[in-house]
Amino acid sequence: MERTWNNKAWFMVLPVLLLVAFSAVIPLMTVVNYSVQDTFGNNQFFWAGTDWFVEILHSDRFWEALGRNLLFSAIILSIEIPLGILIALNMPKKGLGVPVCLVLMALPLLIPWNVVGTIWQVFGRVDIGLLGFTLKALGFDYNYVNDVFDAWMTLIVMDVWHWTSLVVLLCYAGLVSIPEAYYQAAKIDGASRWAVFRYIQLPKMKRVLLIAFLLRFMDSFMIYTEPFVVTGGGPGNSTTFLSIDLVKMAIGQFDLGPAAAMSIIYFLIILLLSWIFYTVMTSSDEQA
Amino acid sequence: MAATTNNNSRWPLALLAVLLIYALATGMLVLSLPVKDGGRDWFAPLVPGGWMAWSFPTAMFFLSIFTLLALMAVWEYARPGGHPRVGILRFETTRGDRLFISLLGSAFINLAWLGLVGPNLWWALALCVVYAIGVFRYV
Repeated sequence: MERTWNNKAWFMVLPVLLLVAFSAVIPLMTVVNYSVQDTFGNNQFFWAGTDWFVEILHSDRFWEALGRNLLFSAIILSIEIPLGILIALNMPKKGLGVPVCLVLMALPLLIPWNVVGTIWQVFGRVDIGLLGFTLKALGFDYNYVNDVFDAWMTLIVMDVWHWTSLVVLLCYAGLVSIPEAYYQAAKIDGASRWAVFRYIQLPKMKRVLLIAFLLRFMDSFMIYTEPFVVTGGGPGNSTTFLSIDLVKMAIGQFDLGPAAAMSIIYFLIILLLSWIFYTVMTSSDEQA
Repeated sequence: MAATTNNNSRWPLALLAVLLIYALATGMLVLSLPVKDGGRDWFAPLVPGGWMAWSFPTAMFFLSIFTLLALMAVWEYARPGGHPRVGILRFETTRGDRLFISLLGSAFINLAWLGLVGPNLWWALALCVVYAIGVFRYV
């Protein structure tokens, strides 16, 4: 049968194209323009070529911040994804417990990032914060302001508290969509709890897990507000992630050229890693 | 109903239109360059004081990217379906995927060149063309 085409349908995507143009394409083009020029303000620009890229690629500051970002994302993903699955598996599937659990899980997601940072900044203080004071009273030498390990632990626990719920809710949505017949068949076959998880629940959660994984990776790799509020990038530069460094460079030092070059490299790394994750997870999904 | 059958025999016209627009836009950009010491200043701001800080090389870069996308649209018009296939990466790719892989890989080739070799990117550009041909042929 000959396929029919209605090219007027393309006009239906025009609004979203305009929206993306104004929210993403035009700012991206501006950043590319800035990345090859220098400015001293007043919208006066001078050609710099690829100098800023060379400078960024040869700066230890950039590579150290990138390393911290990758480490942070790896830790966050290795905790939040398994923990989210575990909590979702143990959430009630019917009864009053369902809305109670869902509301409890959604609560951290409703809190703005800067408020989360402020909460944990106060929570971790050894003089007035419940966490800091309790740890001190128990004999732990906890101080996220001076100690690198404590600062990292605080940021990791804060992120896990804030965002595991997202993974839980996505996994839960995947779990409740599994028809009861699958479980009945597994029961007849005498499948173990692990076998049910491995061969029924996990494959059915794959798509939502992909979304959770990508969202959490991109978000943790771009993290800014919470560490900025809690540690301000310290002690020293130990929690200075790329985003914090970028803001320092662009707004603090008004080095728009190097900051734009760094933004583009940062953007390309996120694009590459997200594409790899997406491709690996969707192609393994197609093979399954 | 406004539905029409797909007539892809007119693709040379579409290709010509895209190339013509590209040539015209390039010409306009060249003409808009300021003249300095009797010659065109290729690196001067195209719009002095403009907040987007356009320059000729960046304008040409984006114009080429948009032209590439338009050429892909013409290719799709001529041969609909995206030509999906499984190549050496062992997953299915369409023409659009292959363009994305080419552009993303080219960006990293250029960055690697800047970091390891130097600021002159002409050889890196040549390498990108070879890489893109490889991607379109084998991926």
